[in-house]
Amino acid sequence: MNPRNSGQLLNPDCHSEVGSVQCGDAMTLDIQVDDEDRIAEIRFMTFGCAGAIAASSAMTEIAKGKTLEEALTISNDQIVAFLGGMPEEKYHCSVMGQEALELAVADFRHRRDNTAEHLNSILREIPASLAAALSEGSIDIEHIHPARVSVRLEGVDEEAVIAVLEEELQNRTGKKVKVMVIR
Amino acid sequence: MKVYLDNNATTRIAPEVLDAMLPFLTEKFGNPSSFHSFGSDLMEEIEAAREKVAALLGAHAGEIVFTSGGTESDNMALTCSASINPLKPGLVTSTIEHPAVLETAECIRSRGHPVGLSEVNHDGTLNMDSFISLITEQTGLVSIMMANNETGVIMPVEETARIAHERGALFHTDAVQAAGKIPIDVRSSGIDMLSISAHKLHGPKGAGALFIREGIDLPPFMLGGHQENGLRAGTYNTAGIIGLGVAASLAAEHLLEEKGRTGLLLGRLEAGILEKCPGAIIVSAGARRLPNTATVLFRGVESEAVMTLLDIEGICVSSGSACSTGEETSSYVLAAMGIGADDANTALRFSLSRYTTGREIDCVLEVLPPIINKLRKISPYANR
Repeated sequence: MNPRNSGQLLNPDCHSEVGSVQCGDAMTLDIQVDDEDRIAEIRFMTFGCAGAIAASSAMTEIAKGKTLEEALTISNDQIVAFLGGMPEEKYHCSVMGQEALELAVADFRHRRDNTAEHLNSILREIPASLAAALSEGSIDIEHIHPARVSVRLEGVDEEAVIAVLEEELQNRTGKKVKVMVIR
Repeated sequence: MKVYLDNNATTRIAPEVLDAMLPFLTEKFGNPSSFHSFGSDLMEEIEAAREKVAALLGAHAGEIVFTSGGTESDNMALTCSASINPLKPGLVTSTIEHPAVLETAECIRSRGHPVGLSEVNHDGTLNMDSFISLITEQTGLVSIMMANNETGVIMPVEETARIAHERGALFHTDAVQAAGKIPIDVRSSGIDMLSISAHKLHGPKGAGALFIREGIDLPPFMLGGHQENGLRAGTYNTAGIIGLGVAASLAAEHLLEEKGRTGLLLGRLEAGILEKCPGAIIVSAGARRLPNTATVLFRGVESEAVMTLLDIEGICVSSGSACSTGEETSSYVLAAMGIGADDANTALRFSLSRYTTGREIDCVLEVLPPIINKLRKISPYANR
């Protein structure tokens, strides 16, 4: 048995846990998502029978490189087909991976909404430090990811704006959010 | 290399047993109940087998009834006892008995008779306070297994038999796992009924016996012909009975030597597992156990995954749980001992036999630790 994509990610963009050790099947999922909403890295940990481990591994292989939307459409049948078939009494093992994926995507969206909310509130009620850096220029949001935001800047002191935004975001979200400028 | 460490499930048939059985599956095919000598001569062989089974238990031949195995023996003992005395139809047994006892107990309960299940302690031994508190005036039978099939814990048969007798109840013990592994003497232990199964002691499947102490008059269990004094009708399973007889003789002959040898191998297995597998815990480590049985918790690693990977390497072990329906059902024995489902789902049982070799133990100690480590690496619970 050589499961692929097993383990954990150091700084995942999203994470989920399903099942429990009491009911005999449990799984964790860590995902890193790129700026096109694609699954760049995915890692699982599973407590369960060999079928559950194989199904978890298959799910991660299928999901890798897909957008989150596409990943949500992965079906049990696809997982079973990827494995070249599974005994019928083990079909339920493949459900856990799907559930973990759904929860991880929900976690990603929640984290992104959180970042977006804080960024919007900063831009709505511009703090004095940012007002100074912005001066007469403008700032437009291009893309929001839980761990980074892409912005377009015009007529501003870029370095100062980035520094102020990153500091404000860190203070409000409690996490490091990278600000990137698109030119 | 095939490594068979699931001897509490079933055992290899001894070559001597097979040799003794073969004539009865070929030329000696007669019915022992027939008038003609071709058949009736076989009755002598049946009686010789009865002597051998009796000798293993310290009983008289006339006290042995042949059955189809441990399950039937347990069913017979419990069901028939419940109707001996209408004033005492009650049964007291324990929560960790074999399903053959527990399901029969449930059936007796469903007929409106009082049934009590004694609790066990954390180490798998019988909780004597619970046991004693359940015995009432209505208790006609106490049934406590001689040794548990999962943990190997040896139960206090003599003490429970004495308590049963003091309260006017009969005492039955399911000795299916104990027979051939520890000495049995029905007389000195005060046992009234005792179940054994041939295939757990290197005999054939489909044969077993119930010892019923002389003087106990059970009503018929199987209706039909006059076999076994009308208690258990049905044509004699000649080959099976002959096999059981030889298996019982061999078990008696090897008993003391094997107890030591198997015990040493088991000790080596347990010590090796504890040394090489982090998170391993031997269940009932401090209790008196059969010399052949060890259940081990591999915390953080689900047992079926381990079994599957061991199976690929040719190693046969078992677990109390099975992930087949999505609703994992973990061992009721471990649950009764207060072991949570989280740990019970990591339990593997290793059970040795007369044919287990040191090489097999070495093979397990070589193959198992990397499997445990590999699964721990991908387990979300390995370090919790």
